[in-house]
Amino acid sequence: MADPSVPLIEIQDLSKSYFNDGVETPVLFHLNLKIHKGEFVAIMGPSGSGKSTLMQILGFLDAHTNGEYIFQGEPTQALDDDALARIRATRVSFVFQAFNLLPRTTVLQNVMLPLIYHPTIPSGERQKRAERAIELVGLTPRTDYLSSQLSGGQKQRVAIARALVTNPDVIFADEPTGNLDSASGVAVMQALKKLNDDGHTIILVTHELGTAQHAKRIIRIKDGHVESDTSDFTRLNTESAHNLK
Amino acid sequence: MLLSDLLLTATRGITVNKSRSLLTTLGIIIGVGAVVLMVSMGRSFQNYILTQIESVGTNTIDIFPKGFQNVGGNLDSLTLDDYTEVKKLSTVESVAPVIIIPKTVKYGREEASPSVFGTLPQIFSNYGLKISRGRLLETADDTGSKQVAVIGDKAAEDLFGSRDPLGERITIGESSFTVIGLLEKQGSALLSQLDNMVFVPFTTAKIATGQKHLSYMTLKAIGNPQLAKEDITALLRSRHNIKNPENDTDKDDFIARSAEQVTGIVNSVTAGLTIFLSLVAGISLLVGGIGIMNIMLVSVTERTREIGLRKAVGARKQDILLQFLLEAVSLTMFGGAVGILGGLGVGWLLSRIASNVLGDFSFSVSIPSILLAVGMAMGTGLIFGIYPAKRASELSPMEALRYE
Repeated sequence: MADPSVPLIEIQDLSKSYFNDGVETPVLFHLNLKIHKGEFVAIMGPSGSGKSTLMQILGFLDAHTNGEYIFQGEPTQALDDDALARIRATRVSFVFQAFNLLPRTTVLQNVMLPLIYHPTIPSGERQKRAERAIELVGLTPRTDYLSSQLSGGQKQRVAIARALVTNPDVIFADEPTGNLDSASGVAVMQALKKLNDDGHTIILVTHELGTAQHAKRIIRIKDGHVESDTSDFTRLNTESAHNLK
Repeated sequence: MLLSDLLLTATRGITVNKSRSLLTTLGIIIGVGAVVLMVSMGRSFQNYILTQIESVGTNTIDIFPKGFQNVGGNLDSLTLDDYTEVKKLSTVESVAPVIIIPKTVKYGREEASPSVFGTLPQIFSNYGLKISRGRLLETADDTGSKQVAVIGDKAAEDLFGSRDPLGERITIGESSFTVIGLLEKQGSALLSQLDNMVFVPFTTAKIATGQKHLSYMTLKAIGNPQLAKEDITALLRSRHNIKNPENDTDKDDFIARSAEQVTGIVNSVTAGLTIFLSLVAGISLLVGGIGIMNIMLVSVTERTREIGLRKAVGARKQDILLQFLLEAVSLTMFGGAVGILGGLGVGWLLSRIASNVLGDFSFSVSIPSILLAVGMAMGTGLIFGIYPAKRASELSPMEALRYE
């Protein structure tokens, strides 16, 4: 069992630049953050602010350029490709704006997908686990539907079930309501909130305040810097109203 | 990732787009099918020809004067005395001297041009010729220089049509002969030349043509035909005063050719032909392989987001590499299996047709060619699948997910 005083995620002086044809484009500048187990954090910011890049680095989909990323007390700098793949298979999972479900594949098969890459969950347990995850997002009647037969909101709930199925330490959600109508968006956010209530750590990336307000902590990123980091939503609302003027 | 998962993932990758997968494998199907067909048919033909040669006997040796084959060579080099001496050799079982009468054969108004051989009764056993009706030539026919003839099936048909030739009189050149025997029809096309023949007694032919030398002689060896050939060569060289210690056959005025030699020639010719045709078929396999690579590259591009997703949920490089490699190999193996069945099917059909035309032609399945085809199909999949698979596995998860 991990020590609860050790942050789940800690970044120290983290920077990220992209290099294109030798030209450096810095995206994130000297960020410092700590996120503990069980938190529901929204990373907010306008497009181009670097919020998605930050999530990709925290989710081991991308590498940072400078600084330290410490995951569950362990530095991650020296991890090779296979070790990163193993972390993605067992410790973290993702919900994407574009759902990214496999086409012409059933809900059950989509949810089972991460389990085939999981090193320890026995193959005999996969279906049971997937069915439980589908039940948690309320899609049991659609288990055998093809992904193309679902509405947008249902697709995103399948993606959440897929993220849940490996019981990861943290679920990253990148604009999960971005492609949904408001009713479906609310349903998806409620599903994420419920997961958080059940003890899952959730890190949400969004540019919509309404969506971010489902979280318990909001980190605002602007031009690659942390602009604010608060759990005081009253002040946040006032600031937003002020910004709109 | 378990092997069963890998297989399942690869199978799903293929079956999701069935018609494209099928079209992709078409090149492999044709390539593998062609290789199997060519090799099997080559073998079948080889067996067929060898069986025919064996039915005449691999221990037969024919001795020709050099002029028989080489323009400007001596046609008179073989004499009756040569025949008498060759007959005495311990390695020779039976010899038949032959004088060919180069004349047309007539029956009433009908005219035909079969080969007319003046020869001794030994020739029938040497060539495996059997009587159908009447009788074969006998020694008494020769000693009495009788005007009798034994005719082959084709010659009989050309001259007599549906009439019974036995007892009828035919004219060869200026002389008249009575038909005393009709030979059995040869089973195969390869030996059909033997059907278009007329055999008359040796002495009768000698008198009719006034020829002192032999057109050729045919004999059967006892034991190893090679030894008999060496004996005959040595005997004829000494009789013809040819000093040839270096054993250069160009210096001889005769040619000794054993059926065994012909067997060797047939073997090397069919083997050469099979290799050549297989190479041509192999090229179509190469083209098929490039088709596979092309489609796999398209597939990798099309499924970039899927690859990104798989990586995001924990797939390692080698999982993606193996998945795409297995897809390519499965495609080629499937194509290989269909190609093998198709090649064998077409081969079987062709050999049935050949059987009707050539007689007694049996289809021989070449197991090595099937193993080769399986190996080639698998190899094609591996070679042409590795590049697209490697490209897929090296995609960064984030770039792959962002791909539009």
